[in-house]
Amino acid sequence: MKRRTSGRRGHLHQRLQTIFAVLAIGTAVALPVILLSVGGGVSQHELNSLENAGYEIAVSGSGIHGVSSAHSLSDRIANLTEVKAASPILSQPIVAFLSGSGPIPVLAEGVVPLAFEASEGPTERSLFPSPLPLGDPTDSIRFANGAYDGPSASKVLISSPLAGALGVTTGTVVLLSGSDNRSAGASFTVTGTFGVPPSALGPTAAFAVLLPLSDLQILTGTAKLPGVNGATIDRADTIQVALVGSAATNPGTVLAVSSEIQNLVPYYGVTNLADQATQLGRLANVLTGFYLALSSVSLTIGITFLALVQLRRVEADRRTIGVRRAIGLPNRMIASGIVLDGLRLAGIGAAIGVATGIVLIGVLAAFGSGSVQEAAQLAIFNPVTLALVVLGVLGFSLLSSGLASRAAFRISIPETLR
Amino acid sequence: MGVEKRYAIGRPEEVRALNGVSLVLEPTEFVSVEGPSGCGKTTLLNLLGLLDTPSSGRIEWDGRPLAARIERERSRLRLTEVGFIFQRFYLLPTLTARENIELPLRAMRTPAESRRARSSALLEQVDLTPRADAFPHQLSGGEEQRVAIARAMANAPKLILADEPTGELDSVSARGVLKLIAEAHNRSRATVLLVTHNPEAARIADRHLTMRDGRVVADTAEHR
Repeated sequence: MKRRTSGRRGHLHQRLQTIFAVLAIGTAVALPVILLSVGGGVSQHELNSLENAGYEIAVSGSGIHGVSSAHSLSDRIANLTEVKAASPILSQPIVAFLSGSGPIPVLAEGVVPLAFEASEGPTERSLFPSPLPLGDPTDSIRFANGAYDGPSASKVLISSPLAGALGVTTGTVVLLSGSDNRSAGASFTVTGTFGVPPSALGPTAAFAVLLPLSDLQILTGTAKLPGVNGATIDRADTIQVALVGSAATNPGTVLAVSSEIQNLVPYYGVTNLADQATQLGRLANVLTGFYLALSSVSLTIGITFLALVQLRRVEADRRTIGVRRAIGLPNRMIASGIVLDGLRLAGIGAAIGVATGIVLIGVLAAFGSGSVQEAAQLAIFNPVTLALVVLGVLGFSLLSSGLASRAAFRISIPETLR
Repeated sequence: MGVEKRYAIGRPEEVRALNGVSLVLEPTEFVSVEGPSGCGKTTLLNLLGLLDTPSSGRIEWDGRPLAARIERERSRLRLTEVGFIFQRFYLLPTLTARENIELPLRAMRTPAESRRARSSALLEQVDLTPRADAFPHQLSGGEEQRVAIARAMANAPKLILADEPTGELDSVSARGVLKLIAEAHNRSRATVLLVTHNPEAARIADRHLTMRDGRVVADTAEHR
């Protein structure tokens, strides 16, 4: 009876060892599945954003709002051959006031409506109304050749999430100010809303308010230097340049136009999206390498656990291994059993790990919050990547099986037969 | 010749399991070995079966020196030339009776059909055809030992080494097992070395060795 009980206990121990080895491998595999799928998805999303952007070249100055004389510079760039539109963009935090409400900080983007529309990519085109209902399409009336004397159209677009949160609809009048000082503000009429694309690399609803560039510059003091006769500075963050038709996809033409623009503004940075995409691609590769390095820690732990379990099994099976060797079975037959056992455990663990990773990402995408949820929703499950992870685990399991096989070959036959 | 086997060499607890044993086994001989516990019977068996290597001395088969060979060669010789019958049977618990018998044939890469035919013949010889698909835990002690005998005969060995094959059996089963070993010897004409405490086993052998303290102290062959 005692022998049977200890045999049962031994069998239970072996089962527990198997379960723990499989769980260790599964956990080790789930981590790279999550990192590579989510990380890869986010990188690919940003790459797609670049590739789907409506512009090919970006001009920027050093420091905050580094581009000056934005209106005239945009016009000069727009006159170049192959250029469809040059759209200056200014992003500034401002404060909104609704009737009876306190200050509501929002991020605003100032644009030249017509140029902005011409440089929209396919995604943006689906999010913004067309034409942009912001009044003066070229923003030249308010700008008045740098005097900023012209009348404001006083129109603004608000993002759908913000409109929903504040209960704002088309026709609502909002007060916009460059500071908490309500009296320094100006009234604008909401003429529509725009959608917000998902982006895991930026804040949700990156900007909440869209208005003409001149209006934003005046609100935030980036139109003229302080003082009654202050010089026009006409600040912007960047000028996005869209090229015509086939020029947009011709790397040679993009490069040539970039050089022309650089000659116009030698003191500004001129980058084309192809370069940015290449840099992003390189960054994505670095991140992938980092994810793999991080995952290798968990995989090492998993494989080490597997090796321990296999060594433990060899120890538990000393007698049968000794008998097999005693009757002359070649080492390959003994090793093949150990290797197959290792592959089986690693294979089951890897499959569980892949499934767990996919399920976890699904749960995060459905029930996560903030940037975690956004990132999870961008996850891409690349079957080749997943297969490589599984093959890597199976390959490493051969190492642990090799260790266990060596231990089996070193068992003293006479001792096991006593 | 002059074989010694020492354990814990150079240490205070050094043990001489075999102390200068010189022995010649002729082909087809059936030799029994008896002696008290710890006299070196099993050690002698292990050395003859290439399960262990001597501390000094020579072991030769058909004039070929064996002790210095690498484990892979010794393993090959065990598979092709030696059949082992252990006191505790040592069948592999996850294999059926037939699969246990076929194990050495698998190692020789014998085709499946030939394996099956050979295992069927051996099962018939040991009178276990109806139990071919039973697992060891489903067999009695006597049945397990008969499967072990069949396994030992699978590759038609030239040397059969039996280490107290009836030690764990009742008298009826023991008699049946000894009869099978004798029949196997007659059929195959292999050399048999039988370590035993059983006087009936001693009777079926042609030659008897007595061991004490790691030496052969009596050998009926010397009196012929």
